[in-house]
Order: sequence, then structure tokens, then C-alpha cells
Amino acid sequence: MLKNLKYVIVLFGLALLAFTGILNTGAQDATATPAPTLEPVTLSPEAQAFVDATEVIDESLSGTIEVWGWSAALRDTMDTSGVISAFKKAYPNVTVNVTLYNPSDVYTNLPLALTAGEGACDVCLVESSHLAQFVALGGLLDLTDRVQPYLDTMNAYRWSDTLYDGRYYAMPWDSGPVVMYYRRDVLEKAGLPTDPAEVDKLVSTWDGYIQMCQTIKEKTGLSCFALNKANNSGRLYEMMLWQQGLGYYNGETGEITADSPQNIATLEKLGQFWTDDLVSDNQEWTDPWYAEFASPDAPVATFVEASWMEVFLKSWIAPGTAGLWGVAHMPAYSDGQIRAANDGGSTFVIPSQTQNPDAAWAFVEFTLGRRESQLRMFEVSGFIPALETTYDDPVFQQTDPFFADQSTRTIYAEVVKEIPSATVYGPQYQMMNGAVSVAIQRYAAGEATAEQALQEAAEEIRANVG
Amino acid sequence: MRQLTFSPTSSLPYLPQKSRWGEVVKNRWAYLFISPFFILFAIFGLFPIVYSFFLSFHEWNGIRPMSFVGLENYTFLFGPGGKVFWQSVLNGVILFVMYVPIMTVLALVLAVILNSQKVRFFRVFRTLIFLPWVTSMIAAGFAFQLLLANDGGLFNTLLNSIGLASVPWLENVAAARASLCILIMWGWLGYNMVLMLTGLQTIPAELSEAARIDGANAIKTFFYITVPLMRPIILFSVTLSTIGSFGLFNEVMALTGGGPQRATLTPLIHIYNIAFTDFKFGRASAQAYVYFALILVLTLTQFRYFGRERED
Repeated sequence: MLKNLKYVIVLFGLALLAFTGILNTGAQDATATPAPTLEPVTLSPEAQAFVDATEVIDESLSGTIEVWGWSAALRDTMDTSGVISAFKKAYPNVTVNVTLYNPSDVYTNLPLALTAGEGACDVCLVESSHLAQFVALGGLLDLTDRVQPYLDTMNAYRWSDTLYDGRYYAMPWDSGPVVMYYRRDVLEKAGLPTDPAEVDKLVSTWDGYIQMCQTIKEKTGLSCFALNKANNSGRLYEMMLWQQGLGYYNGETGEITADSPQNIATLEKLGQFWTDDLVSDNQEWTDPWYAEFASPDAPVATFVEASWMEVFLKSWIAPGTAGLWGVAHMPAYSDGQIRAANDGGSTFVIPSQTQNPDAAWAFVEFTLGRRESQLRMFEVSGFIPALETTYDDPVFQQTDPFFADQSTRTIYAEVVKEIPSATVYGPQYQMMNGAVSVAIQRYAAGEATAEQALQEAAEEIRANVG
Repeated sequence: MRQLTFSPTSSLPYLPQKSRWGEVVKNRWAYLFISPFFILFAIFGLFPIVYSFFLSFHEWNGIRPMSFVGLENYTFLFGPGGKVFWQSVLNGVILFVMYVPIMTVLALVLAVILNSQKVRFFRVFRTLIFLPWVTSMIAAGFAFQLLLANDGGLFNTLLNSIGLASVPWLENVAAARASLCILIMWGWLGYNMVLMLTGLQTIPAELSEAARIDGANAIKTFFYITVPLMRPIILFSVTLSTIGSFGLFNEVMALTGGGPQRATLTPLIHIYNIAFTDFKFGRASAQAYVYFALILVLTLTQFRYFGRERED
């Protein structure tokens, strides 16, 4: 008996040794590049004033919440603005731990934690483009009752991605109203007007935009913007679909519309920038692409992108070009049509495995649902709140020296209210975007017509969805 | 058949009436000491293999309830939806044809050269050629991305300086595949060379000596002595490369991400995407099994046709 016990102990010991071995290797891998957390910062006087003005809301609520998201949003906006400190003051017994992950790391870690049933954040930041997929995946807390007060005050088009079986699973933060950024100095060199109102007229349609690009090319030899062929991500094409209320599928019937005549015509319209040789071939979010924005002598002339681009331009892509930029509306697809589209935007979700759903929701509501918090964060980084009750605030009238004292935020607020509902994003957005990007690449390389390429993509999407 | 006991120190005579379990109990210490591997293998190797076979007949996103779909995940591959999978298999074949012959020949030739102790600093060269294998492929992939960049990349700068036009290394279907092959050869040549070196050291020196006395020169010795005797090692190296070229992952992820136009998408990356981007674990499992079957057939074919010893 005693002898057997000895074996059991030895066996147990060995197993333990082996497992700690594995756990150690795992832990080493995980700690090799630990995801950074928030460093304590000294708040700016404005941020401190904001914190001081916040009153205690609930002392009885307690618990620890773990928040995941990327640095531009959680550190450079939510923390820098003082909103996180204000939350801690309002809920003195709730502890907030923030872990900074890249979006792609959130999308890797969140589903694994949801599947495992533990280890997830209590509050996670998810981009709008990926949201519907996570909502469909399951494992998120049903927020239907909690978001009721905000259904009418947030941008209406934002709610569709948060829905699953008639229930709401996310709370929108910022929206991505698309505008056209342009370099005043380049337009001037090309003999074009630089005043936003006049540029607006010049680019009233995509055809007008193409004409303007031709003028710029002739007069200055510069590219109008960067539109990569080989690794095109489909972002600009999607903005063009969005402004027409189109997308990859029919919202009601679910039928795939990726090869509809309108979609094909849209891709052909985009293709004119290539056939007329008006664009550079730099790939988005790569060094040469950044350099093109920052270049003093050979920059891009324009760029159609969502308002959050402003933060990136100012902070690290092209801080040296202050005063040279202007903002106009994006072109309409054809005369008199909508000059607004969405690109990106983000939301908070709460996994249902959270131990502190009330504290988690308090955090979400305090940061995103509260007018003061949204305005404060908007002031710091220009993320346009999805919360429409903020739009009448004087901060939207502020002029901006980076844009030669133009008041860009009035344009953003105007655009965001006009964004139509579209079916670009959805539960299978990643798969659909993947198939369509390949179609755009094939069309750009001249290997297929727009029609052939999109038909192939649509077939692939149909097979994958069905 | 008589069974041999594991333990050489065992003084007990063989007892036929004892069961196999009895043998296990008798050699418990030996089994105990090799058990960690088997326990770990069962958890992290065997279980996933069996479970993904089970999953391949289901539809499951990892969180919501599983539903049984029969053979649907397999038939899917033979419909329009399987196009990308077969494209990825074709990519594997193309990559294999592009780099395996060159790499194998290079590895063998380099091994023969560096096996001869007459080459000065042969140890230095061996180390230098093997060194890339030790570096992280992800880091190397990013470095190659910079070298191969369209504007300002070292490769294109060199080409331009001798009056040649730039090559869109990563932006054209054929060029991207070629670039990937360059990275793979850079990374794996040393490993294959070491394999060959091990093989060369098992060839008795008398054989080449005898050949030399019979009047064979170095090239003849290489073709009539070295290559035939190295056959098993060459086969082993080629088999590893075959499995490797369909299972490419890190290299592709770091260099091209599978693009442009999916020209460098390998089956493994495609399966990974279906599982961890689309969250279709059933479909991914079915494709993993089809992929396994393909590799098995390919490897068996290689052994059948190239692995046979010569009859005479």
C-alpha cells in the first residue's frame, strides 16, 4: 500500500513538473512582449478641470474591470482627456485596468477568451467593421435594456451592426464620417481655388474629382492620392458603395449583391484613377504612404478618408504640414446625390462572462453615453461622437490652425448626420472584403474586367455564405 | 512471437502467461519516465487530431451550439466554395516546383564542397550558411520586405544602378512567388545542407578512394558514388521540403500575407483564416483533413517512386 502511494506521489510530481514546464513556456511566450498597460500621466489643466467638475455618482458600486483596446483610443484619447480619471472619481470603488492591444490582437484574444469561457476583458473596444461578426459569434452581454435611452440619441445607422435576433450587444463610441482632405499649397500650385467652399464645388461628383486630379497632374505632376493596385484593401471602393447606400448584400433578403450593376459601375468609376494615371501606388499604412503625406515638396494632393484621419495626420503622420491642409466634402457619386459615407468607427462590448456587469456598464455609459465625456474626448482627438446630443456644442465651431483656421468639425458633424445605411459591414464582412479586395486587385492588374472580377468574387461569397 | 523485455537488468525469466499489462507493470519505471511525452502528446497532439475529425462533420463557431452537418464541409470543397482551397494547394505545388529542386541541388553541392576538408575556413562557411535557419522567420520576413520594396529597396536600387528596370517584387503574382522562394531558400538552405552533410559523413571514404584509383574524376565520383549513396537522405530532405512548402506559414505571413491576389496563399494559411478569422471551425477541420490526405498521398508517391533501392 505504502509502495503504491510512493508511485502515486512520484507520478503526480512528474506530471506537475511537466505541466509547470508547459505553463512556463506559455508564460514566457506571453510575457516576451507584454501588452502595455496605462502609464500614470500628469493631466493637462483642461483634463484636471474636467475631473474636478465630475461628481461622485455611485459609491456602492464596486469591483475591478479590465478594459482592452488600442492606444489611440484608450490612452491618447480616453486617458489623456481625463475621462478615465473622472470615472474613477465618479465610481470611487470601481478599479479600472486598461490593457493596450492592437485591434488585431483584440480580435485574436477576445474570441479565444469567449470560447474558453474565461480570461476575457470586462469591456472591449471593437471596430465597427468587425463588430457584427463578434455579435454573431456570441458570448457578449445582452445590452438591450441598458442601451434603450441611447437608441434615439446615437447615429441611427450605427445600431444595425450591434443587433442580433432583435437584441443589442454593443454601444457605439465614434463614427467615421468620410470627407476629402486636400493640400492647399498643391491646389494653389495647380492654379485651383483653395477655399473649402470652392473646392467643395470642384469635387461635387467623382467625375469632377477626376477632372481636378487631371489638372493637378498636368500642372504639378503630382499624384492626386495613393491607390495601391497589388494589395488594394477595398476601403475607398467601400466608401463609394456606402455613400450610395449599397454594399455586398441585400439587408432584407440577404441576397449577395457584390456583382450588382451598380457595384460594377462603381468599381469602373474607381478604375478611372488608374487608367488616367492620376494616383500613386503606395500601400496604405506603410512608410512610403506616410512619407507621401508628410513630404514638403512632393506630397499627395488630396485624400478621401474618415474624420479620424485628422488625429493621425496631426499626431504622427504629418505633424510638420500644419496649416497646409483643408477639408471639403467627399464627392457625390453623381450630381445631387449624398456626399457622406462611413469608414470605421468603434464600439464597446461587454463579454457575458464578466463578473462585474454593472461596473462594466457604468464604465461604458460614463465614457460613451455621457455628453460631457464624449465632448471632452472629442476635444482631445477629434473622434466624432456617435452621440448626436453633442453636435450643438460650441466646440464644433472651433477653428483649427492645422487646417489653416478652417472649422473642420462643423463639416464632420454635417456629414455624420447624412451617412446613409449601407450593407458594407456585416457578420461576414472580413470574408466579403477579402473576396472583393482580390477582385479589385485583379481588375487593377488588368487581368479581368470589373464585371468578371466582381462576378467571381460574388460567386465565392455566395458559396461561403450558403 | 517472443517479446523482449525493456529492462536489461531484469533477472526475471520471461513468463508467457503474463499479459502485456504485466510487462508494463514490470517496467513501470521506464514507462513512468517516458510518460510525460505521451501525456503531453495525448493532450496537445492526439486530442486535437481526433477532435477536429469530429468537428469536421459539424458547424461550429466556437461559442454557439454545434450542429451536425454530415459531409457538408467536405462536399463544400468540391463546389464553387472550394476554389480558394484548391488555389492554395496549387500555390503549394507551384512554390514546390519553384524552389525545391534548386534548393536540394544547391544543398547537396554545397555539402559536398564543404565536406572536403581542403576548403579553407569550411567551418566558417558551414556556420554562415546555417545561420539564417536560427533567425526568426518573422524578423527575416520583415527585413526582406524592406529589401524587396518597390521604391528604395536594396534589390531594386541594385538593379537600377546597373541600368535594369525595377521589379515589382511583392506586387506581381509571379514576382511575389519568386520573392517568397528567395526567402525560403535563404532560410532553409542551411538546414538541408546540414542534412546532406550528415549523410555524406556516413559514406565510407574507401568508396571514393577506390573510384579515384579507377580513374574517376570529382564530377564522376559525385554522380556515381555520392548521389546514389545519398539517395535516402535526398529523399528525406525532399519529403521534408514537400511537407514544408504546403505548410508554409511564418514566411508567408511575414512577407506577403498571402497576396497579391492570393498568389502566395498556402493551404495552412487558408485553413488558419477560416478557423480564426471566419470562426468556421468545422469547415477548417474538414479542409485540414483533406490537406492531410493530399500530403499523405504525395509523400507515399515520393517514397514509392524515388525511395526504391536499385534492384541490381
